[in-house]
Amino acid sequence: MTLDQILPPERTLYGVPGGSKKRVLEFFSTFIAQNIPSLDSQEVFSRLIGRERLGSTGIGHGVAVPHARSPHCKTPIAAFLKLGDPIDFDAIDGEPIDLLFVLLVPEEADDTHLTLLGQVAELLNSPTNRSALRQADSQRALYDVLTSAIAELPAR
Amino acid sequence: MVENLNYYFLLAGMLIALSVLASRVSARLGTPLLLLFLGLGMLAGEDGVLGIQFDDASTAYLIGNLALALILLDGGLRTRLSTFRAGLRPALCLATFGVFITSGLVGLLAMWLFDLTLIEGLLVGAIVGSTDAAAVFSLLGGQSVHLNERVGATLEIESGTNDPMAIFLTITLAEILTGQLTGVAAGVVSFLLQFGVGAGMGLAGGWLISRLMRYLDLAPGLYSLLALALGLSLFATTNEMGGSGFLAIYLCGLMIGNHPGRHLEHILPVHDGLAHLSQIVLFLMLGLLVSPSTMLHFALPAAALSFALILVVRPLAVIICLKPFFRFRWRELWFISWVGLRGAVPIVLAIFPVITGVENAAVYFNVAFFVVIISLLVQGSSLAPMARRLKVIVPPGAQPSRRNLLGIMPVNDYEMLVYRVDNTALEGVALRMLRFPSGAKVGALFRSKVLIHPKGSTCLHQQDVLCVVGRSCDVPSLNRMFNGESLQHEQRAFFGTFTLEGGASMQDIADVYGLTLSQGEQQLTIGEFITRRVGGVPVVGDDVDWHGIHWVVNEVAGNRITKVGLRLH
Repeated sequence: MTLDQILPPERTLYGVPGGSKKRVLEFFSTFIAQNIPSLDSQEVFSRLIGRERLGSTGIGHGVAVPHARSPHCKTPIAAFLKLGDPIDFDAIDGEPIDLLFVLLVPEEADDTHLTLLGQVAELLNSPTNRSALRQADSQRALYDVLTSAIAELPAR
Repeated sequence: MVENLNYYFLLAGMLIALSVLASRVSARLGTPLLLLFLGLGMLAGEDGVLGIQFDDASTAYLIGNLALALILLDGGLRTRLSTFRAGLRPALCLATFGVFITSGLVGLLAMWLFDLTLIEGLLVGAIVGSTDAAAVFSLLGGQSVHLNERVGATLEIESGTNDPMAIFLTITLAEILTGQLTGVAAGVVSFLLQFGVGAGMGLAGGWLISRLMRYLDLAPGLYSLLALALGLSLFATTNEMGGSGFLAIYLCGLMIGNHPGRHLEHILPVHDGLAHLSQIVLFLMLGLLVSPSTMLHFALPAAALSFALILVVRPLAVIICLKPFFRFRWRELWFISWVGLRGAVPIVLAIFPVITGVENAAVYFNVAFFVVIISLLVQGSSLAPMARRLKVIVPPGAQPSRRNLLGIMPVNDYEMLVYRVDNTALEGVALRMLRFPSGAKVGALFRSKVLIHPKGSTCLHQQDVLCVVGRSCDVPSLNRMFNGESLQHEQRAFFGTFTLEGGASMQDIADVYGLTLSQGEQQLTIGEFITRRVGGVPVVGDDVDWHGIHWVVNEVAGNRITKVGLRLH
């Protein structure tokens, strides 16, 4: 399972309204529940917020990777959000974030969960990838940058 | 004598100057510095180029005692009391029982190798029984190896505190051999006196001296002189009272060094230099004292003894002292074993039998010579690679390249902290956009050595040098801000990308990542879980492998874990 298989173009969002950590996660939950009808927006939201309570998923350099398991999720789901304005996310370096990679996985997918998380981390720990994503000026460009960066990840 | 005065001065001056210059070479080559001093001494010595005859044991002993006292004073000054949390108990175990075990086993071996009596053999063991603080830290510091706190503190405190034990054993055994000491009772009394009086005088004297230093307002250069003078007086008084002067002067340094104040800034660099000078002098003297032509006779058995000490005896002593009582991991134990570096102390102690007129004094001296030289060669030159191999290092974060107290407050003073911008994320960022800790301000900005007046709108560029005024509590967040990219990469590879709060409950974590908990784990927080796994005293860099994830301790406050990294695979 690779990241590009679970991240279709329609789940790459450009210029998402910011506001606050809670608002952005709410926005995502509503969006994903519309995109995949089997998911319940309240449930996704509370799972993501629950993970944030254990420690922020803001991994530094303006990037956050909210992630959770969901019982209604049949297969891993990824989404990428680029915010219009950076928001405070209690990130490890204290910097506000503007890039979010959200990952939802089925309850039983433990190993896949960790493997996918590792890939996301690798993708966004690269300064080149981050600056390319920030320079993308449309939804299409953002998706192209993402897919080519994912394709360049070392094979597992 | 008077007409030769200038000749002696020239000789001493040149030898020391050469030794200092040699330290540059040593830093580049990575060979242990002390061996170079030794080599210089031998070159100048009786079989060397200059052919200097030096065999005055009592002068050598005088110089040795003084040098050792200075080294221990500096060791105490540099030991931070905060490291006692993780290292005190294991270090004291090693410094007492460890020295006993090492001396005993080496003694038995020496008895067999050199055909000595039991007491004579044990004397050899006692002479080489203690590890060397100064040698350990000049080697580790020179190679910028950042050890994890548990290992670092244990080694540091051990090497500072084990010398009095070895000195006591040596003196006692030498006295038995010369018939000055008879009976077990006298031995026990002497032991209690040495340690009781030594510890009492050191702590009390150190407390008084540190209070005095803070109260006095002296010219900057005089603080270190006063510390030196009072330290030596304390050393001598304690010795006269029958206590261990070496223990006293180490504790005295510890008390002075941990009593905050402006004077410390003036004391530390001077004593650092003095400790260096003492080492140079000691090793030069050793080089002068040995006669290579006679020591070849001892080469083979002494080498065998050295390797046995390094490969068998020291690991055995470390394992016996630490494994049953403390939760060290095996690789930490191996590393502690490997840093059983012998240095200045055996040299001084080896002169002692010569002074007291023990028979076969040449044996002790030459054996000590070989043990020290082989230990420095084998262990000293491989410390850094060994630390990396055994994974006892923690990736260092950014540090201010320079810090100076400003002298505004008597305690918790403001400091000038100098940072160099080495992070593309800061390129073109205006100063007002930086998230400075509220107490800190940018005082000056240098670009290509030109002073720029810093304004809120001033944008940073790579290699800019910033002078920040702040307090020591601001340093961690400033360090994070100016962390260079390569350092960040190293840290992320070590601590993992994701970070959890130490107070997060295990049950919640298990729910998020689909992990199964066993009985009793549900009620714990992740911090408590790791603390239990590592034996109660967590340090940054501790990791626990659990369900295919490495849980790495990222931040601690006292004995409580506050941040845990998740390293995936």
